[in-house]
Amino acid sequence: MRRASRLAFAFALVASLACSAPTAVRRADGIDASTLPEAQRADYAVFAQRCSKCHSLARPLDSGIDDPGWWASYVARMRAMPGSGISAADEAAILRFLTAHQGPRR
Amino acid sequence: MTSRRALSLFVVLVVVACVAAIAPSRAHAVERTFSASAQVDYFFVPTEKGANARAIGLDGFTTEASFKLAADLTDHLSASAKLCYGCHGFEADMVYAEYRVRDELAFRVGRFSPSFGAFNLRHDVANHGLSDKPLPYDMGRMLRLRSWNMGVLPSPFPDNGLEVNGTHWFGESAQLDYAAYAVSGFRASTPALDLDFVQSRTPAVYYVDNNSRPTFGGRTALTFKLSDDSDFTIGASSMYGTFDASNSLTYAIFGADLSLRIGQTNVRFEYLARRQDFDTSDPTRFKYALASQHGDFFVKHGAYVEVDRLIAPRVTLLGRVDGLFRVGNVEAGSDLSRRTGVGRATLGSLITIDRSFRIKASAEVYDFSDGDAAGRHVEVGLHVATVWTF
Repeated sequence: MRRASRLAFAFALVASLACSAPTAVRRADGIDASTLPEAQRADYAVFAQRCSKCHSLARPLDSGIDDPGWWASYVARMRAMPGSGISAADEAAILRFLTAHQGPRR
Repeated sequence: MTSRRALSLFVVLVVVACVAAIAPSRAHAVERTFSASAQVDYFFVPTEKGANARAIGLDGFTTEASFKLAADLTDHLSASAKLCYGCHGFEADMVYAEYRVRDELAFRVGRFSPSFGAFNLRHDVANHGLSDKPLPYDMGRMLRLRSWNMGVLPSPFPDNGLEVNGTHWFGESAQLDYAAYAVSGFRASTPALDLDFVQSRTPAVYYVDNNSRPTFGGRTALTFKLSDDSDFTIGASSMYGTFDASNSLTYAIFGADLSLRIGQTNVRFEYLARRQDFDTSDPTRFKYALASQHGDFFVKHGAYVEVDRLIAPRVTLLGRVDGLFRVGNVEAGSDLSRRTGVGRATLGSLITIDRSFRIKASAEVYDFSDGDAAGRHVEVGLHVATVWTF
């Protein structure tokens, strides 16, 4: 009985974490969107949401890659990852952001 | 870990790098990516009084590191190699080539972790927020690991073979993933009572199958985009094969998973079960008398629920409840009983110090249904770890 109570308490703790009120928090492994040009902010939001599902945003942002062709093939590969949730429209937005922000003009 | 083996793995990585470097360019230049991650974790077990906690787990410092090189050789062909360093030295976590005909059809051949479960994609220390893995996937971090012989399917589980996989989008809102594979499979020496996971990663018995029959498996998952910042995935996996040299003992592993992402909150659930035959030719090896019917196998169940939530720009809070439940006979002298379980509750945080440098801290409480020699059921573990990605 004590064991069941402890397990129930632990479940309740985890559930409360999931159910607490949502807040919009900027990720510290990403970029402060307010520092980006207005035109990039919507694309950045898609990038930050989709790419952080599986890995830190530091991976692409610190990659040092500035070749648009490379980004095109890499984002296409990421889109094909199981459960990526990256649709064709998301892919276009992510690619626009990465080529604009990480491209040669940076 | 022998220096000869480390040298062999190093040579493999260098050869892959050289092939990638000199492969002829066709439609475009060969594109290479290098990535790495490292975690140094300190594990303290304050409840283990009067003895080194190593008797029940791997306490103290452990380091896990990985180095991955991927090269796109053509528009369709890529090669990947990943070298890992962990508790048991250097390992080739993946060395494979992938030929992607289109999104719906890709082949990968070589050494890789076959598609099973949802955690598989996040097994790298950089991609999960707690220092250790959920109990169903535990590979040596859990307390009393030797009694339990680790989790249901210790992760990662690289193996040699072939996989066919693909993904298909239905419009902009649903993604179907599927995979089927044939790999060498797990192994054990004869007469076997359980899988011997060490044999999958030791050169002492060579990196070849111990029998002529592959293990077959597959996975399918469906992801729904609920909105711009939320999605939901449901998946199922299975694996079946023989693990002894004479192909007379089988194992079957089944998994189901659900994950929900809303904004910066992730909720994940997975259930795994392994039905495992064992050799009954010598009844004296068992703790209990062998049942006349259905007495030649055990079933090990495992499940976890995990929630992680970004609560401040630099702080992610994580909670996890996980457990194992084993039903079936055990080896004579085992601490476990015929029906035994362990539950664990973990609360942790992931703190971003720098974009590529994070600290993990967590506390976990274990509750074993079987007491130890002193009759104790509850243990506490504390983890503090640093993680780098680059």
